[in-house]
Amino acid sequence: MANLEYPKVRRAGRWFDVRRRKLGMWAYALNRITGIGLVVYLYLHLAVLSLLLRGPRSWDSFVSLARAPYFLALDVILLAGILIHGLNGLRVTLTGFDVGVKAQKALFGALMLVAVVALGVAALMIFGG
Amino acid sequence: MTLLDVTLQIFRYKPGEQPHYDTFTVQVEDTAHVIDAIDKVWAEHDHTLTFRRACHHSSCGSCALRINGVEKLPCIARFSEVWDGHSPLRLDPLRNFPIVSDLVVDVSGFFQRMSASTMTITRDAESTLPLSVDDLAAVVQPKAVELPDNLTRFNRFENCIECGICMSACPTMAVDNKFMGPAGLAAIYRACQKTDDPNEKAHLLALANGEHGVWRCHSAFECTEACPQAVDPAGKIMALRREITANRFKKTRRS
Repeated sequence: MANLEYPKVRRAGRWFDVRRRKLGMWAYALNRITGIGLVVYLYLHLAVLSLLLRGPRSWDSFVSLARAPYFLALDVILLAGILIHGLNGLRVTLTGFDVGVKAQKALFGALMLVAVVALGVAALMIFGG
Repeated sequence: MTLLDVTLQIFRYKPGEQPHYDTFTVQVEDTAHVIDAIDKVWAEHDHTLTFRRACHHSSCGSCALRINGVEKLPCIARFSEVWDGHSPLRLDPLRNFPIVSDLVVDVSGFFQRMSASTMTITRDAESTLPLSVDDLAAVVQPKAVELPDNLTRFNRFENCIECGICMSACPTMAVDNKFMGPAGLAAIYRACQKTDDPNEKAHLLALANGEHGVWRCHSAFECTEACPQAVDPAGKIMALRREITANRFKKTRRS
């Protein structure tokens, strides 16, 4: 008798399945998404830095591109990823030391509120400055 | 009493066949539990439907499955709690277990994990046979348990009915087949609390500290949310982490 087992890649999709799940699962999925996003960003960042090897002209053209409003919006998305991942990581660290386990939902809510406020201020600075 | 016409979408799988959903409509009382409807599907529509059930009162844990994607015991899940009154109710087997047939999963891996804790499972308010009438009265109205002075919180691990719901709810279990999982780690925690033997405790903590132990948990807390018996496996995992970390600090300070 052959039991049914789904392939690992399909099962990994459960990391992001928040349907009818509680707040902790949202935190888990957000941490995965932002974590993967930040790793992708790191490699993009290194690729962009490698433009320096091609001389000042290619770098200057990239800098002018980076000042465009739609590119600044990407900066805000990057900051959102950093704030969500970092602050949620703080929740994971605290609960991992058995601190605030019973209040982990409130902790997540409070930290995400901090993230939203910080992101709002940062967005104003990015677009206003 | 009102009769409800309930449509169930049930996951079907037989070895050698493609998994799919079959739809059945059955009539149940408005106070019925989901297991009653599954029983009716088997009795009135399809004798090949495979599912587990035994006690019908959340004691054996054998009927655990997913109702509209969420892990539940259908023997205590009333339609009034889980059904919106018109959409089909989708029933799936537990996740993170190999599917044997329809709603039945292979739970042998689960029990291997539980036995790793070397803990005998006994539940509070559960008498050993033979059961007298007086004993039964004690079971029906269990006395409140007084905490010993040195305990700050009551450990309810004994209430684990080994249903596997926590393992299904855990997103980390999805990709790590060797992960000890919420129930296995909660059992280790309880076994640690129970033993006075330092060697056994060290063995248990080493097991929890292993590659597939407490550090694989990424704090989704879904196990605790889904547990029908308030065992709080996530809380036990965090307590184990604290103990392992504290031991490591002590060792570092001594060396």
